[in-house]
Amino acid sequence: MLFEGLILLFYLVFYGFLAALFSFTMWAMLQTLNDEVPKYRDQIPSPGLMVFPKPVTALEYTFSVSDPSSYEGYIKDLKKFLKSYSLEEQKNLTNCTDGVLFEQKGPVYVACRFPDFLLQACSGRNDPDFGYSQGQPCILVKMNRIIGLKPEGSPRIDCISKDENTAIVSTYPNHGIIDLKYFPYYGKKLHVGYLQPLVAVQVSFESNSTKKEVTVECKIEGSRNLRNEDDRDKFLGRVAFKITART
Amino acid sequence: MSRKTLEIYSVELDGTKDTKQTDQEDDKKYNDLDLKKSHQKEELKRELDLDDHKLTSEELEQKYGTNIITGLSSARAAEHLARDGPNTLSPPKQTPEIIKFLKQMVGGFSILLWIGAVLCWIAYGIQYVNDKSASLDSVYLGVVLALVVILTGIFAYYQEAKSTNIMASFSKMIPQEALVIRDSEKKVIPAEQLVVGDIVEIKGGDQIPADIRLLSSQGCKVDNSSLTGESEPQPRSAEFTHENPLETKNIGFYSTTCLEGTATGVVINTGDRTVIGRIASLASGVGSEKTPIATEIEHFVHIVAGVAVSVGLLFFIIAVSLKYQVLDSIIFLIGIIVANVPEGLLATVTVTLSLTAKRMAKKNCLVKNLEAVETLGSTSIICSDKTGTLTQNRMAVAHLWFDNQIFMADTSENQLNQAFDQSSGTWASLSKIIALCNRAEFRPGQENIPIMKKVVVGDASETALLKFSEVILGDVMEIRKRNRKVAEIPFNSTNKFQLSIHETEDPEDKHFLVVMKGAPERILERCSTIMINGQEQPLGKSNATAFHTAYMELGGLGERVLGFCHLYLPEDEFPESYPFDVDAMNFPTSNLCFVGLLSMIDPPRSTVPDAVAKCRSAGIKVIMVTGDHPITAKAVAKSVGVISASSETVEDIARRCSIAVEQVNKRDARAAVVTGMELKDMAPEQLDEILANYSEIVFARTSPQQKLIIVEGCQRQDAVVAVTGDGVNDSPALKKADIGIAMGIAGSDAAKNAADMVLLDDNFASIVTGVEEGRLIFDNLKKTIAYTLTKNIAELCPFLIYIIVGLPLPIGTITLLFIDLGTDIIPSIALAYEKAESDIMNRKPRHKKKDRLVNHQLAIYSYLHIGLMQALGAFLVYFTVYAQQGFWPTSLINLRVRWEKDELNDVEDSYGQEWTRYQRKYLEWTGYTAFFVGIMVQQIADLIIRKTRRNSIFQQGLFRNKVIWVGIASQIIIALILSYGLGSVTALSFTMLRPQYWFVAIPHAILIWVYDEVRKLFIRRYPGSWWDKNMYY
Repeated sequence: MLFEGLILLFYLVFYGFLAALFSFTMWAMLQTLNDEVPKYRDQIPSPGLMVFPKPVTALEYTFSVSDPSSYEGYIKDLKKFLKSYSLEEQKNLTNCTDGVLFEQKGPVYVACRFPDFLLQACSGRNDPDFGYSQGQPCILVKMNRIIGLKPEGSPRIDCISKDENTAIVSTYPNHGIIDLKYFPYYGKKLHVGYLQPLVAVQVSFESNSTKKEVTVECKIEGSRNLRNEDDRDKFLGRVAFKITART
Repeated sequence: MSRKTLEIYSVELDGTKDTKQTDQEDDKKYNDLDLKKSHQKEELKRELDLDDHKLTSEELEQKYGTNIITGLSSARAAEHLARDGPNTLSPPKQTPEIIKFLKQMVGGFSILLWIGAVLCWIAYGIQYVNDKSASLDSVYLGVVLALVVILTGIFAYYQEAKSTNIMASFSKMIPQEALVIRDSEKKVIPAEQLVVGDIVEIKGGDQIPADIRLLSSQGCKVDNSSLTGESEPQPRSAEFTHENPLETKNIGFYSTTCLEGTATGVVINTGDRTVIGRIASLASGVGSEKTPIATEIEHFVHIVAGVAVSVGLLFFIIAVSLKYQVLDSIIFLIGIIVANVPEGLLATVTVTLSLTAKRMAKKNCLVKNLEAVETLGSTSIICSDKTGTLTQNRMAVAHLWFDNQIFMADTSENQLNQAFDQSSGTWASLSKIIALCNRAEFRPGQENIPIMKKVVVGDASETALLKFSEVILGDVMEIRKRNRKVAEIPFNSTNKFQLSIHETEDPEDKHFLVVMKGAPERILERCSTIMINGQEQPLGKSNATAFHTAYMELGGLGERVLGFCHLYLPEDEFPESYPFDVDAMNFPTSNLCFVGLLSMIDPPRSTVPDAVAKCRSAGIKVIMVTGDHPITAKAVAKSVGVISASSETVEDIARRCSIAVEQVNKRDARAAVVTGMELKDMAPEQLDEILANYSEIVFARTSPQQKLIIVEGCQRQDAVVAVTGDGVNDSPALKKADIGIAMGIAGSDAAKNAADMVLLDDNFASIVTGVEEGRLIFDNLKKTIAYTLTKNIAELCPFLIYIIVGLPLPIGTITLLFIDLGTDIIPSIALAYEKAESDIMNRKPRHKKKDRLVNHQLAIYSYLHIGLMQALGAFLVYFTVYAQQGFWPTSLINLRVRWEKDELNDVEDSYGQEWTRYQRKYLEWTGYTAFFVGIMVQQIADLIIRKTRRNSIFQQGLFRNKVIWVGIASQIIIALILSYGLGSVTALSFTMLRPQYWFVAIPHAILIWVYDEVRKLFIRRYPGSWWDKNMYY
């Protein structure tokens, strides 16, 4: 009994010590971190593109125009996502100068407004169904946030339909412009209320086309430092998605 | 002269009269011992059936349907050939090479890895069915695992193939052609076509083509050493001289060599039915025991495989119940198996053993079977031959008796230190007789070779006398020239003496000198005077008593005693021109003057007593097994320490106390001399009792077959038995032994092949160095395994944490393989070069069943102490990398699912940044590299602490083993290459790591070192405490 007791005690002390030691070293390591900016940003030099709403299966949107329940989820998602872009939410945000980088020195960092009307037909203001009920669905494309990223030139998101005959792709704001005033981003903690710029893509199927299926590819263009052709990373500066609309 | 030798050895040869009975008894014992051995019993029984040596030529002709003059007819021969098959030894049923190869493919950990590989492919299959674009990662992993198994399998197969096959040498001995009489014609035919009844002719230099019964012989002598161990040429004639077919002179054995003369004989047995054929099948029938190290490694594999499978299954179940998909759970299972299996370890062990084998080869121990390297270290009983192993295998003058005094001669290898009193006149006379009454001569052309190394033409005793006198007197050939020999009578068994007549070296002195030597009692009979202090005195009663006392004393030492006498012939009766006629004996051969006695022995090798003492302090029992007479055997045993000076046998005690042997309390005796005669009447239990109760045992007058019984008896005591042997007859015992040691110089090919080890210099002392190496390697293997097992925990934890906590995978399966088969390989081999911590020759041999290679202390300390510390250290590096890139440790918890979702390309980190799947993957690989580096850095500390198990590293010397530092350098260099050189190769999932991350785990590495020093300190401080019991591995 004594023997087992000793061993138990030993392991208790030993593992207690190891746990304390590990906690201490972790704590010491965390002290090297900065709350505001990560120590290294070398692994995300260029942003990826992502679409919204997020489809259930891998980037394929399937819905039926006549069946509201088939796109209900998408609409709900979009509404939820755009809630922070509504004018009421942006009351405290700043109106920034268009077309130039909005560099700030702190200590207080302000965020620029992104009024949802920029998304025009896809803002949800006039059409609460985001075009889904008309067979002209809206998809939002956003660029990943990266702290300190300063795009050069005039970046825009260029979307093309792989199948010109079946669908016409329109982007809002016009030409898919991403305004430079939303950059650079200063991080979650400093840059409270930051809204990343969005580009909406609306796909209108040709009314006479029988096959209502299209693959849309969006790429960042017009900026030298935003890459869009990486062999390994299919989402770096580009995104491709498929829409199937049934009647 | 050889006749004389035989006569002097006759006492010893008498022992073989019992061989036949012994064989019968052997049979009975085999039967009693083990039913499986009935095969052996049959084999030996057939040997007894041989009675052809008792038959007359006519009976033989009848029996084999042959004719001594005309031989068999070709038709008859063909008939016999069809019936009996060719005259070759059938090779043992060999396992086909492909089976051996496949065995390697599924042995050890292979089966686990195969399961892992197959699971990988199944997983991919399922993925592929669901999604045609599934990533090929798991296919690659499966291929890599399969490659690992195949490569290590090929390596092991290659190692095994190197150890030679026992049967190969038996077939090498087969003579190629035979001269046979068939259809009244002499023909040369291939020996394999010989059939029973063939009449064959053999001549000097031939190998005997089959077992033959001799019909006629002209001075035929054969070398039977490979069969019976007798090194002296055996005369062969047509007479039936002995009941035992092995002893009778009219049988020649297959594959023995005819040295000189010619003979004709009838073939009585061919192929596998020959005596040698039966021994060959007996040797291959004796299952060689699994080596202790093989048992240990199997035990270890079981432990590790058990842990791997149970942890794997446990977490498979946990994963499934945590609602993971079965597919994912399978992948976890593979990871856990790969993490648990030390893929490189078995190859490392092989390399380590072969390094030791090389080292031992330098010390004259040639190891044939790699695993035998360690067996020698765990040996607890050595059954050693006497002749040649403990002794120098030559005769040397040991004692002299003249002037009523016994003098001791130097019997060391060079004999230069002859310190006895040489001033007496008697010595002058004696030395002259020794030099003159001797037919042995140095082979010419050896002027610059030391006397002891010179080649002599003559038998063993005469050689000894020649060299003895050459050392003391100088040029013996010159002395013989000055004392011209005028007549001589060679030794023969009726006279039992040798005589020669010489002119004296003084040209003025016309006397003739008769010198004579021979069996002491016969010589004394012919003497009427005795020389004392150079003066002739009448041979009185007191002198005769003194002679007998000395004769008995020298004989009691087991020495071969010779008497010497001389006589100066009167000049008037024997003038210069006197025609000496040795047949008519026209000169006096009685009333001579007795000069002295001289005794010879095969002296112990000078290094042996020391080696035997070392064995004893190492707890190894040395048992001497010899065909010699018990007295000789006991004397040699005493002189080399097999029976130590203070030990007595039951007989010794009886003599000392003047009581009957039966009255002696057997417990008082530590030593025992057991003869083959006694052994054959013993039940196995009695033998066990002797082996258990006496620490010093000599088996004398044993037949080679009895060796097997002795070996089996020792093995019943749970001992690891080493056996030395040289003859073909020894090969079953050599195979049966845990480690068979064949003599490199005197050994027959069959013995060398049955053995696991060959002693290149035939010297017992070399065995001791082998034992030392074997023990060292066992200790060092422990260290290697402890080193290798430690990181298993650090490799396993990532998977467990990954499953339970849902962190992004800290280390990939392929990355693990780069540790197991990359950075860890050279360091684990380097531990084989570690010096012993204390005098390993001062402790008992390890107990086969108690002192395991991998005990629970080793497993627990490696897994739950150092391994755990390593895991923590490696996790620290991993968390550091993630945190500094933006993912704080808290944010990683349960991130796994979102992290690994391919279509999710905006996973947010702790700073609000968003990551694409590929960016996350790259970070994950950086994490792998960081974890890998963390383990590698701590394995350096692990390597250093494993240098010792008890002593402080500073006692052992941090820099004494340079190879360790080569190992550390290799670890670092391989890791650098992987990270910076191959960091861009996607399939390997390494990335270039920031330099500072290489240092994050260093505090943990230092902690490991300090902790282990504390452990060792407490072990040294408090031996026997619970700490010692639980923490010493």
